[in-house]
Amino acid sequence: MLASTERLDGTPLVVVTGEIDHGSSSALQSEIEPCLDGGETTILLDLKDVTYMDSGGISVLLYTVRRLRRGNGWLGVVSPNTNVRRLLKIVGLEVDSGFRVFDDKESAATAIREMSTP
Amino acid sequence: MISVAPEPIRLADVRRFVEETGAEAQLDTDKIFDLKVAVSEACANAVEHSGGQHAPLQVCAFLYSDRIVFEISDGGDFRVPGVPHRSPRDDRGLGLPLMVALMDEVRIAKTRGGGTNVHLSLFL
Repeated sequence: MLASTERLDGTPLVVVTGEIDHGSSSALQSEIEPCLDGGETTILLDLKDVTYMDSGGISVLLYTVRRLRRGNGWLGVVSPNTNVRRLLKIVGLEVDSGFRVFDDKESAATAIREMSTP
Repeated sequence: MISVAPEPIRLADVRRFVEETGAEAQLDTDKIFDLKVAVSEACANAVEHSGGQHAPLQVCAFLYSDRIVFEISDGGDFRVPGVPHRSPRDDRGLGLPLMVALMDEVRIAKTRGGGTNVHLSLFL
């Protein structure tokens, strides 16, 4: 797994590649942690090139959602594949108020812009 | 059959084994994905509770006319997979629900040596 952080309209976009499992989840958490500690209210996670995820990865998503919800923020995942999306549904993340799924970067950017419009 | 050391880094090797077995059985990619997650969850539990012991983790595959079965056995102490054990992170309870949601049958038993045997079955 590889993870690096970019910005999309000012919001951190953590781009992940490969497999997020019990062996690699702590590396993903280390990538997200500075955004949380820095007071970001919204974080995006680009999962387009994530081929595999299990409860190792889901734990990191749940932890991030919990931290962001305290500040009324949310975590958005972008372009998860159909299998990863199915897992998000099974664990109930899809209906969590602190979690959103976007089909692509454009729709994520639209949501970010709508949020910053008073 | 694949036998690996109980270390997180070896989970990827187990998944390659599941992938190859699933491809040989001509399963579709969705079923292979589900098997990879379920087998990984069973193995991750064994890795987490190996307690520094080095007894290998064994994963066996069986193909029948109507189903594919994976059996995961470890040499550690018996644990129900995916049930949290006072971990500082409280999301460790996802393993078992995921296995049950993705598989058609999940059985958990003690081995003679006191370890854990997880039986995962998926209809073809």
